Amino acid sequence: MSDDTADMPLLVILRHAPHDGSWLREGLDVALVAAAFGRAVTLLFMGDGVEALRPGQKAGPLGQKGTHPTLDMLAMYDIEDLRVDATSLAERGLSIAELPWPVRPVTAEALPAVIASASPVFNF
Amino acid sequence: MASEQGKLRYALVVLGGPYSQAATHSALRFGEALITQGHRLDTVFFYHDGVYNASRLAAPPQDEPHLVDAWVRLANDQGTELLVCVAAALRRGLLDEREAQRHGKPAFSVEPPFVLAGIGQLVEAGITHDRLVTFAP
Amino acid sequence: MLLHLLNRSPAGGRLIQDVLRAMGPEDRLLLIESGVYGAAPPQSACFETLKGRCYALQEDLASRGLAERHADWIIPVDMAGFVALTAETQRTVSWY
Repeated sequence: MSDDTADMPLLVILRHAPHDGSWLREGLDVALVAAAFGRAVTLLFMGDGVEALRPGQKAGPLGQKGTHPTLDMLAMYDIEDLRVDATSLAERGLSIAELPWPVRPVTAEALPAVIASASPVFNF
Repeated sequence: MASEQGKLRYALVVLGGPYSQAATHSALRFGEALITQGHRLDTVFFYHDGVYNASRLAAPPQDEPHLVDAWVRLANDQGTELLVCVAAALRRGLLDEREAQRHGKPAFSVEPPFVLAGIGQLVEAGITHDRLVTFAP
Repeated sequence: MLLHLLNRSPAGGRLIQDVLRAMGPEDRLLLIESGVYGAAPPQSACFETLKGRCYALQEDLASRGLAERHADWIIPVDMAGFVALTAETQRTVSWY
């Protein structure tokens, strides 16, 4: 029953929207640190997390930085495997074409396999 | 890091604060149970509001469970490492003696067995332990 | 095979649909904390496609007055059973 997890990417699922407290930031930090440690990282935007990809975000009214600047840095950290849950996108009226970052859509059929083939899995 | 036959090394991640959310209660109950089953609870990583579990200043009423003390007992009895994400902790006022001095604060709120640690140790725990279970709000 | 933990009830929110979409055909679901409200009809209807692999934490059912109210195909487990589920599956993913 053991699978060979050493070659599996580390997966961070991001399900919280930007400017919604610290969840999205904290999830991204785990991904950045894992990548800095040389681990292959997959980021999956799902549920309200797809709002992190919406164009036109700004800093918050109290000076909160927001997470869009961090997304600009992902490539520098060698995090290039960005996926987005297609169902969540459609539910929120977003299309892949309008997203400023290069993400690959994951259909409902393909979603379980994306999650099952990663280790460890962090869900934020 | 091979485990003994059938014995698994667990890491828990706690993302909820004590009392405010159910996460801490569930994590403690799960931790107890896995030890009873003969597994090892090697590491607990506190992140997000979970860092509030590390406060040595917690003063719950006498007729309620003392959750911070429960973690301390676990560490003392089982050798469980209690790691507290330093970035999440500092923002929320959970500072050990060194950080309190560094930041010119009048008091410190975190002491051993709770130890401030980087997110790298959360990643490490996920990679090296047999099982990682997260308790969230 | 993965174990998924769910600590919210189906009432209100797309979380349930997200979890169901994320689960593989052999994966198991364990309802804990407020998630056990989903073990009782009519909310349990959400999980019918998971018959045989949907569990609920007994002590959380009991403290919420649901011990006798859960759908009969939802399998109650105690804490030892929860531990066993995490040991028998390869990884555990928490949804909240």
